[in-house]
Amino acid sequence: MKGFKPSAPFLLLLPAIIVLAAVVVVPLLLSLYSSFTPFRLTKPETFFVFVGFRNYLSILGNTDFWWAFGRTVLLLTIALNLEMLLGLGLAMLVEKATRGQRILRTLMMFPMMFSPILVGFQFKFMFNDNIGLVNNALQSLGITRDAIPWLIEGHLAFIAISIAEIWSSTAIFAILILAGLLAMPKEPIEAARVDGCTPWQTFRYVTWPFVMPFAYIAMTIRSLDVARAYDIVKIMTDGGPAGRTELLWTLVARTAYSDGRMGMANAMAYFSILLSIAFTVYFFNKLAAARTQIGAEW
Amino acid sequence: MDENSSARLKRRLFGIVYRVGLFLAMLTICLPGLWIVLSSLRPTVEIMAKPPVWIPQDISFDAYVAMFSGIGKGGIPVIEYFRNSLIISVTSTVIAVAIGMAGGYAFARYRFRGKSGVFLGLMLTRTVPGIALSLPLFFLYVRLGIIDTHFGLILAYVALNVPFTIWLIDGFFRQVPKDLAEAAQIDGCTRWQAFWQVEFPLAGPGIASAAIFAFLTCWNEFALASQLTRSVSAKTLPVGLLDYTAEFTIDWRGMCALAVVMIIPALTLTYIVQKHLVGGLTSGAVKG
Repeated sequence: MKGFKPSAPFLLLLPAIIVLAAVVVVPLLLSLYSSFTPFRLTKPETFFVFVGFRNYLSILGNTDFWWAFGRTVLLLTIALNLEMLLGLGLAMLVEKATRGQRILRTLMMFPMMFSPILVGFQFKFMFNDNIGLVNNALQSLGITRDAIPWLIEGHLAFIAISIAEIWSSTAIFAILILAGLLAMPKEPIEAARVDGCTPWQTFRYVTWPFVMPFAYIAMTIRSLDVARAYDIVKIMTDGGPAGRTELLWTLVARTAYSDGRMGMANAMAYFSILLSIAFTVYFFNKLAAARTQIGAEW
Repeated sequence: MDENSSARLKRRLFGIVYRVGLFLAMLTICLPGLWIVLSSLRPTVEIMAKPPVWIPQDISFDAYVAMFSGIGKGGIPVIEYFRNSLIISVTSTVIAVAIGMAGGYAFARYRFRGKSGVFLGLMLTRTVPGIALSLPLFFLYVRLGIIDTHFGLILAYVALNVPFTIWLIDGFFRQVPKDLAEAAQIDGCTRWQAFWQVEFPLAGPGIASAAIFAFLTCWNEFALASQLTRSVSAKTLPVGLLDYTAEFTIDWRGMCALAVVMIIPALTLTYIVQKHLVGGLTSGAVKG
């Protein structure tokens, strides 16, 4: 601070800070407060009753909640890892293409244009046990005789949701890793080959370290938005069958809007917020480390 | 020369495997979308047919006609939804980009204490899941009387977009060499003029793609919109999609048709920005 004159970057950042404070931070403080009350939408007066940690304590003993929590973490782990692997594979396939790379790149971005809710609906349609594309194809090819109850059986529904999630987000990884591959200088690879590296060694010790920051950018972007799985699940199964695909976010929505238990829902929502923040901070740190490693300025 | 020919064979084999792999990958990516488009153009009988009809026998635009013919004739107020979506997305994009430009410029051009921390802080506001944010916003909006209005959703979307817009625009300003603006200032420009006449035009395409990205986020958002809107006066297209689902039945064809209406603007815009988008996200990952 130089005297009373605020610095230029502070002034430039002020609008952003004001908006985010008004629409995100203040409401979140409000929700933090209401997570300590038995607030119900139908009984406004309960907003001013303070119950301390009762909501949190009852969450701790709530098996449905912990199932949903575990399922959410499982889904994110499976989805992010597979998206990363598939994205890497896809990027390397496209990078090898000698002709039509531009068209391939555009096709590759196709799933990014789909709103998560559309992805959910589209895969609900495809996994429909009676008229869906997947069952029709499997039956026509003679792989199975009976219709597979994709969205009706718990484990299958979870698999179907993971597939939808992976389909919609692999593109982000692929496109960013491809950018890394294209930006990579060719000399180190040639040098490695001349020195007698196997293709695997070349990939592991030359290509991969260079591409890693790009993969972490993709991870960070994805983790900013992990909760969009809510849209997909909401449409595909709405947490069903019998709560077998309930995620943290659908549980929060159900508790808040169907049951009207706002105080409890806000307490649950805080767990989901902390989960998102944990993912983001983790990848952000990885990204910063990877950037320093290849000596880029931050 | 036996070694030679076997190497050649190996290489050819590898080429074929590669082509097949690439084809399968692209098929997996494109098929779901194509299936939606196809389904929107075929009669309901064909969608429900057992055994399935793979290639549409006759093309009909009935689903689109029905959709636009209004409530009561199997339609939904799609024109209103489209208008709401457009108004909300465009307005919030413009505001978010203006705020994002100021913020992005600050990150790209100034050194200040706690820069990394402030940046992370801004990003963290984006991680709050839409549904978690919708709880307090719902309550506040009801109190303020802005539930189910354009204004309420615009406000929420601006906040949703600002962090990411700052990230993107920061990247684009970094790509513009600092020396250019300095040269302009030496030649007598004020900092303000140097910004508008030198740096802004150079970062322009990047900023445009940040804008389109923000637009798409609003266009596709569901979790907040589904809770903060109630009626035709503010519902957006993603929420409107649910109009096709009844308690036990779903009008698949109608939904497919609406999906196509939603995708077309998104498709066009994404195609336009793809090149700049990647550049903006990755700048700073490599030197230069």
